[in-house]
Amino acid sequence: MIKAENICKSFNNGTVEVLKNISLEIEEGEFAVILGASGSGKSTFMSILSGLERPDSGKVFYGNEEITSMNDKLLTDFRRREVGFIFQQYYLLPHLSVDKNVRMGADLAENKNYREIIEKVGLADKLKSRPSELSGGEQQRVCIARALAKNPNILFLDEPTGALDEKTGRQVLDYIMQMKKERNFTMIMVTHNANIAEMADKVIKINSGEIEKIYKNTSPKSAYEIGW
Amino acid sequence: MVISLKDSLKLIGIIIVSFCAVFVCTFFLNFYLDASKLEGAITDSEIIILYDAQMATAKFTCAITGGFLALIAVIMLIFYIKLYIDGHSKQLGILKAMGYSDGKIALRFAVFGISVLLGTALGFGCGFVIMPNVYKSLTIDGLPHIAITFHAELLIALIVAPSVLFSALAVGYAYLALRRPVSEMLRGKTEKKLKNRKIKEDKERAFLVEMLFKTLGGRKSLAFFIAFACFCFSAMIQMSVSMLDLSTVGMGAIILVIGVVLAVTTMLMATESLIRSNIKNISIMKAFGYSLKESSLTVLGGYHIFALIGFAVGTVYQYVLLRVMVDVVYKDVVAVPEYNFNVSVFFITLAVFIVFYEAVMLFYTLKMSKISVKEVMEEN
Repeated sequence: MIKAENICKSFNNGTVEVLKNISLEIEEGEFAVILGASGSGKSTFMSILSGLERPDSGKVFYGNEEITSMNDKLLTDFRRREVGFIFQQYYLLPHLSVDKNVRMGADLAENKNYREIIEKVGLADKLKSRPSELSGGEQQRVCIARALAKNPNILFLDEPTGALDEKTGRQVLDYIMQMKKERNFTMIMVTHNANIAEMADKVIKINSGEIEKIYKNTSPKSAYEIGW
Repeated sequence: MVISLKDSLKLIGIIIVSFCAVFVCTFFLNFYLDASKLEGAITDSEIIILYDAQMATAKFTCAITGGFLALIAVIMLIFYIKLYIDGHSKQLGILKAMGYSDGKIALRFAVFGISVLLGTALGFGCGFVIMPNVYKSLTIDGLPHIAITFHAELLIALIVAPSVLFSALAVGYAYLALRRPVSEMLRGKTEKKLKNRKIKEDKERAFLVEMLFKTLGGRKSLAFFIAFACFCFSAMIQMSVSMLDLSTVGMGAIILVIGVVLAVTTMLMATESLIRSNIKNISIMKAFGYSLKESSLTVLGGYHIFALIGFAVGTVYQYVLLRVMVDVVYKDVVAVPEYNFNVSVFFITLAVFIVFYEAVMLFYTLKMSKISVKEVMEEN
């Protein structure tokens, strides 16, 4: 279980309060969406939950392990072991092929069978292509493969369909959901799109750095059932 | 317009290289011109030999130091302009989209010549400041007093001409570099190049090894600058000590200071550029859980070999240079001390070099640890 307790974060020497005393719990294997408008603090909260950033106060626990008290080295080890990321801007390494970009994640987990994942996301024929030779949807699928090749227990997604059109966006979400079903990792997605939130088990709505409400979807929809 | 005077002043590497080149050339050429006036007035055959050797030394040193450093300054200028255009690709693309011609934008790059003007003017001034001491150490017993005279032609040759030439070079190179489609410039710097480049990858090579090779291959110019920094360090330090029997302590000190300044500046400039151009790669590696040691190895590790090559070439260069001085320039001069390769100086310089190089690498590894993953990602 992931547990955040009283997370506070501010910037500009405390003048801009981004997160105000946020607490929540996410169960193992759950798909949680952090929903909020631009500037609501959702991405900062995801950075803190994933160990990319430290809060000013408050704690984050993964089971009994508190990551907010870890030093940089331990935190890096933690991310290496537990976490995968998919970003809106992809952040693929431009001078490396699809194969090597995915291997970036695979090598961390000593995963020798990473090409299976490339096949599963439908990019087996693009192994040698560079990111600049791929469409947006294909690049995002490389990101999915890269993140999953490291066998993460928790997958963090920051607006993964933000740069994609509807058709490609739905495809990408569908790929992700298929992978989740297969591997049963915990998934935390940040989005401003309320339609995507309908796919989640749990929705945490953030507004101006505070939790507005948390609710569960009794019957989450698929990528092709939601509105866009 | 994007390019400003401030950008020119940021070219510390060029300022320092042009300073060093003109600093050395100023006092040697001034001495050469002043001493030339005595040519017909010397009758003693032994003094004529010494005088000729001294004049040859002045010419030789100017040609070697001035020519070599001028070449380095040209390479640095091209490197900076390329880096600038790549780094400001979007802004320059917007200017082009708005209707500014390549020529009009390129003309603004003439301000980069100001860094040369600054370096050469400082070098010329400092050369004059220490000139009395240089004349004292170069003057041969038995020669009439050589008075320091100001030569306007040197001012033109060492300050005006290089500044104008470098400005023209900056404009010309920028013009060629800007001749790219606007859409490509707006999209980012390297997409097209990467598209056209054939992939040479070993399928089974681990990610870190592949990354190391690609980083190295993508920044060949930085490998040259790192090798050059190590070359300066090795050549100038060893030469400054090895030539003590052949010249004065003051001259040795000048060479030592120039060598250290050039080496440190070039090394810092190259490593800083290396880190800056890899900042996104480092961030994503950090986010995924690659350790600082692994990130540092992929970005900085490949350059060790170039550093060692630079050091080795520097060692050979200083030996050959001093050998030529003793065996060719001073061959007819009696009582010239014997010159042999100084093994102990070599090993001491090597030890200091290893400490220097590793300290720079450690400094930049620590700098890498401070890169905020979130900040880099928010920039996009």
